[in-house]
Amino acid sequence: MPDGTICAIATPPGRGGIGVIRVSGEAAGDCLTGLAGRLPEPRTASLRTFRDADGEPLDQGLVLWFPGPDSFTGEDVAEFHGHGGPVVMDRLLRRLIELGASLAEPGEFSQRAFLNGRMDLTRAEAIADLIAAGSEAAASAAMRSLEGAFAHRIQDLVEQLTELRVHLESSIDFIDEPLDGLAIDRLADRIEAVGEAVRAAREAARSGQQLQEGARVVIAGAPNAGKSSLMNALLGRDAAIVTELAGTTRDVLDAHLHLDGLPVQVMDTAGLRTGADVVEAEGIRRAHQAMAEADHILLVVDDRNPDEDDGLGAAWPASAAALTRVYNKIDLTHRPPGVGDDGVAVSALTGAGLDGLKSHLRGVLGVRAGDEAVFTARRRHLQALDEAAAAIDEAVSAARAGHGEELVAESLRCAQDSLGQITGAVTTEDLLGRIFSTFCIGK
Amino acid sequence: MDSQSQYDVIVVGGGHAGTEAAHAAARMGAHTLLLTQSLDTIGQMSCNPAIGGIGKGHLVREIDAMGGVMGRAIDRAGIQFRVLNQRKGPAVRATRAQADRNLYRQAVRAILDEQPHLSLFQDTVDDLIVERGTVRGVVTGMGLALRATAVVLTVGTFLGGRIHIGDHNRRGGRAGDAPSIALAERLRALPLRVDRLKTGTPPRIDTASIDYRALTEQPGDSPAPYFSRWSRGDEHPRSVSCHITHTNPVTHEHIRKALHRSPMYSGEIEGVGPRYCPSIEDKVVRFADRDGHQIFLEPEGLDSREVYPNGISTSLPFDTQIAMVRSIDGLAGARITRPGYAIEYDYLDPRDLHPSLQSLHLPGLFLAGQINGTTGYEEAGAQGLLAGINAVAHGREMAPWVPARHEAYLGVLVDDLTTRGTSEPYRMFTSRAEYRLQLREDNADLRLMPVARDYGLIDEGDWQAFCAYRDAIDRERRRLEQTIIRPADLGDDHGATCLGKPLRREQSLMALLRRPEISYDDLAALSAAGEAAADPRVREQVTIAARYEGYLQRQAAQVEKQSRYEDRALPADLDYARVAGLSREVQEKLTHHRPATLGQAARIPGVTPAAVSLLLVHLQRGEQRQSA
Repeated sequence: MPDGTICAIATPPGRGGIGVIRVSGEAAGDCLTGLAGRLPEPRTASLRTFRDADGEPLDQGLVLWFPGPDSFTGEDVAEFHGHGGPVVMDRLLRRLIELGASLAEPGEFSQRAFLNGRMDLTRAEAIADLIAAGSEAAASAAMRSLEGAFAHRIQDLVEQLTELRVHLESSIDFIDEPLDGLAIDRLADRIEAVGEAVRAAREAARSGQQLQEGARVVIAGAPNAGKSSLMNALLGRDAAIVTELAGTTRDVLDAHLHLDGLPVQVMDTAGLRTGADVVEAEGIRRAHQAMAEADHILLVVDDRNPDEDDGLGAAWPASAAALTRVYNKIDLTHRPPGVGDDGVAVSALTGAGLDGLKSHLRGVLGVRAGDEAVFTARRRHLQALDEAAAAIDEAVSAARAGHGEELVAESLRCAQDSLGQITGAVTTEDLLGRIFSTFCIGK
Repeated sequence: MDSQSQYDVIVVGGGHAGTEAAHAAARMGAHTLLLTQSLDTIGQMSCNPAIGGIGKGHLVREIDAMGGVMGRAIDRAGIQFRVLNQRKGPAVRATRAQADRNLYRQAVRAILDEQPHLSLFQDTVDDLIVERGTVRGVVTGMGLALRATAVVLTVGTFLGGRIHIGDHNRRGGRAGDAPSIALAERLRALPLRVDRLKTGTPPRIDTASIDYRALTEQPGDSPAPYFSRWSRGDEHPRSVSCHITHTNPVTHEHIRKALHRSPMYSGEIEGVGPRYCPSIEDKVVRFADRDGHQIFLEPEGLDSREVYPNGISTSLPFDTQIAMVRSIDGLAGARITRPGYAIEYDYLDPRDLHPSLQSLHLPGLFLAGQINGTTGYEEAGAQGLLAGINAVAHGREMAPWVPARHEAYLGVLVDDLTTRGTSEPYRMFTSRAEYRLQLREDNADLRLMPVARDYGLIDEGDWQAFCAYRDAIDRERRRLEQTIIRPADLGDDHGATCLGKPLRREQSLMALLRRPEISYDDLAALSAAGEAAADPRVREQVTIAARYEGYLQRQAAQVEKQSRYEDRALPADLDYARVAGLSREVQEKLTHHRPATLGQAARIPGVTPAAVSLLLVHLQRGEQRQSA
C-alpha cells in the first residue's frame, strides 16, 4: 500500500561488490540524514560514511537524493550505494528501519511509481505480475525461513500469548462468569516470562540469521583426495583432522565462512568408496545425504589420478551446474592453478589456486535465486519479534503500574498482531473460540 | 394509516430493530409506516428481561447518542441498574439494567406515539412489491399494497421459526407469535443466501414459589446510573434485587438421563446455537468436570410474578425441566409458569448486504436485526437505527451512513456481519473492537452526535448543548496542559497530602493526571491548580484523555494508516477474474463476498496484502483510462 516509507535492496542478491539500497516515502530524507549526514545536492552522488545510531561506521559509499515528485516513485527517494555483502546490507537496512522505514513489499516501488502517475498505463500489467510473483516468492521464502526449531519457537510464543489473552479478554467481557482468571500481579509475571521468551527467540534468530544460514557447500570425493585439507585451507584454520590415512573423516564436519560477505556453510564429508567398515559406511551415508541437500558440491579429485572412480554413485547431483571438480595436489603434478574448462586446479597444501576457487564459488552461489528472499523474510521476522517484545514490555509496565486491564490487553493485542505477521493472524474469532472452549460462559 | 398513501419508508416488524428504524426515519422527517403483526407486542423483550452489559451497553449509548429509543426506554423501565467492570478502566465499563417487561414495552410505545411523521399499523406482510429489480413496497396479509421508496425488514426469528420442547416441535415465532410463512417463502425465492440458527430460553418460575433465604442477593448500584443523555434523572422506577443460585450434581444427573430426548442431541435441531450462551444441557456435556453452574434469578417486573432463571436455557422435555429446576437451591418448590424451549429460525446471510444494510440484490430493501444473524436487543436496535437512517438517505439520494470500526461499535457490528458473515448468532463483545479504547460508553455522544446532527436526527437545542459540552472539554484540556505546578508552589506537606508524595519537579496538571494514582479530585484540591471544571462529565473526559493518551495516539495512527485505502469504493460489478495477478482462491473469495470498499476487502480472511495491492493497481488503471 502506498503508505509510510519503504526500503529495499535494489541490486540483485549476493552479486558484485556494490549493493544499492533504495528508500522511498516521506521519511526518506530523515533516513538519509540519520544514516549518512546532511542531504546532498539533488541528483548528485556524494561519498559518505554510513553510521549506526551511536555514530559507529557501518560502511562507506555513495548517497543520492531525489526529492519528490521528480523521482522514480514520485516520492522523496534516497539511494545508498554500499559494499554489496549481505551482512553489511542487512546492517544498513536495520538502521533504516530504526529511522522509520519499513521493508518494501514485493513490487511496491513500482506500484508507488504507478499510483503516483510516474509510470504509464501499459506497465500496469507488468506491475501486477511483479506483485503477484514477488509475493509468491516471498511467501515461500517466509516458509523456508520458518522451518525447523525457529517455527516451533514462534508457535510456542503465539500459544503463550493467546493463553494470556484468553484469560484477560474473558475477564473483561464476561464479568458475571466465575472464571478462574489470573490476578493482575500474577499476570504481570507471566507476561514478563513471555517477553523473555520473545527476546530469546529473537537473539537466537539474529545470530542464526548470519551464521546458521547461507549457501551449503559440500566437499566430497574419494578417500584421501584432500577434502579435509581443502576445507582447512578455505577456512584458514584446522577445522578438520587431516592424516595420511584414508577414511579419517567419518562424519560430516561443518564450518562457516564468508566469501566477500556471502555467508557459506562448508561441510566436509567422509570419503566415498565401497567396501568400507560399518562406521565408515555410516559416514558415507551421511555424506550422500549432505550432498542431496547441498546448494553446491566441490568434488575433490586427486590430480595424480584424475580419472579414478569418484565414488559419487547415486548421490550425483541432479544438476551438473551444482558441482565443481577441484583438482587438488597440483603441487605434485605441476598443473597451473586456477579455473579451467573442466574444474578448478588448486593445492590445498600451498594455497595455490584457492583465490580462484573462492571467486568461482562466489559466482556460482551468488546467483542462487530465493536466497535474498529468505534473508528478507528472516529480517521481517526479526522486526516482528522486536515489535512484539516492545509491546510486551509495555504490557508488563502497565500491569505493574496498576493501569487498567484494558491497557494491558491492548498491548498484548499489539504483540500478538506483530507475531501474527510471522505465523498468520490470530483473529477475534479464534480468540473467542478459545475463550468459549476454555471457560463455560453463558448466563 | 391511509391505504392509498405513498410512504418514504415502511418498516416491517415492531421489535427492537423495527422500532429504532421507524423512529430514526421519522425523526429525519420521512413519512414512515411501522407495520407489525401485533401492536400490543411493540418493544417486547422476548428473551431475558435486561438491556445492556459489556459491549451491549456500548451499543445502547451509541443508539442514544443518535437520538434513539432504547436508552430512554430502559431508563423508564429499569428495576436494577449496575455498572459492570467498575474496577477496570473506562473503555470496558458498561451499564446493564434489569427491565420490567411491561414498563419497557409501554415506554417504547409512548416514545413512538409521540413521534411526528410516524404511523403504526397492525397487519402481517406477505410479499414485497418488486418493480424492475427494486423494492417498491409491501403487500399485507389482508391484501393492501403499500408503496414506499424503501422497505426495512426487521422480522426477527419469525422466518421459518420452529420451536422445540423435548421431542415436541411446532412452527412458530417467539413467545407464541405467528410465524411469517408466506414472507419466508417469498424471501427464499430471491437470490439471497438463507441459513439456520437456533437459540433458547429457560423455563420461567413463579416468584412466590422461590425460597430466597439461602440465596445470594445481588442489589443494583446506588445511585443507579442512567443510560440516556436525554433522561433527567428522575425516570427510574423502584429498584429490586436479583439473586444468585447454582445447579448441582443432582441437577446434572437429571439432565444427563434425559439427553437422548433432547432435540439438540437427537439431531432434530440443525441450526447452530451461540457458543457464549449454551443451553444447560450443552454446559453439562461440554464441561463435564464442573459440578455447578451459576444461575441469576432475574425478576421480570415490579408487578410480575415471573422470574427469569438466567443460565439454564433448555429444550429438554418438560418433565425433565421440572425435575432439574426443583433440584436447585431455593427452587425445591418451584412452579414453572412457562416451559423453556429452543427455537430454530432462518437468517439471511449478511454478506449479501452493503454495510449500509441495504440488500446487494434488491435495491430499496434494508434488513436489520436477528434476520441478519445477530442476537440481542441492543445489536438489533443498533442495526435498526442504521437501516432506518439509510432507508431515508436512499430515498433522498444522500450518501449512506456507514460508521467505521474506529468510530462506533455499530461500525464493528456491520463490518463484521457484512464482511465475514456469521455462523452463530452474533453478539457484541468488546474484544471484537480493535479500537476498544476509543469506543467507550462515556464518549458515545462525542463520537456520534455530529453524525446525528448531519442526518437531521437531533434538534438545534440539543446540538447547542452538545457543542457547549464539547467546548468545555477542549478548554479544560488546554488549561490542564498549560497550568504548570512547581514543587515550590506546593510545599512538601500539601503536595504529599494531595498527590500521595511530594512533587519533585515542575509538571503540567495534565502530566500529573496521567499517573494512575492521581485523580482529578486530587488535582482540584491542590492550592495552585486554579479553578476546576464544574461538570463531572468534563472532569471524566479529561481524566480519560490523560490516562489513555499514548494508546489513543497510537490507535489514531493505525486508523490513519488504514484510512488511505479504507474508503476506496469497489464497484459492485467489478469482475475479479479480470484483475491481473489475483490468485483463483482470492478471486473466488472476493466474488463471493463482494466487498463494498478496499478496506472491507482487506479484512476478508484469506485476502492478502498483495491482493489488496493488485486491486489498488487495477482501480488506478481504470481511473487513468477514464481520464485519458
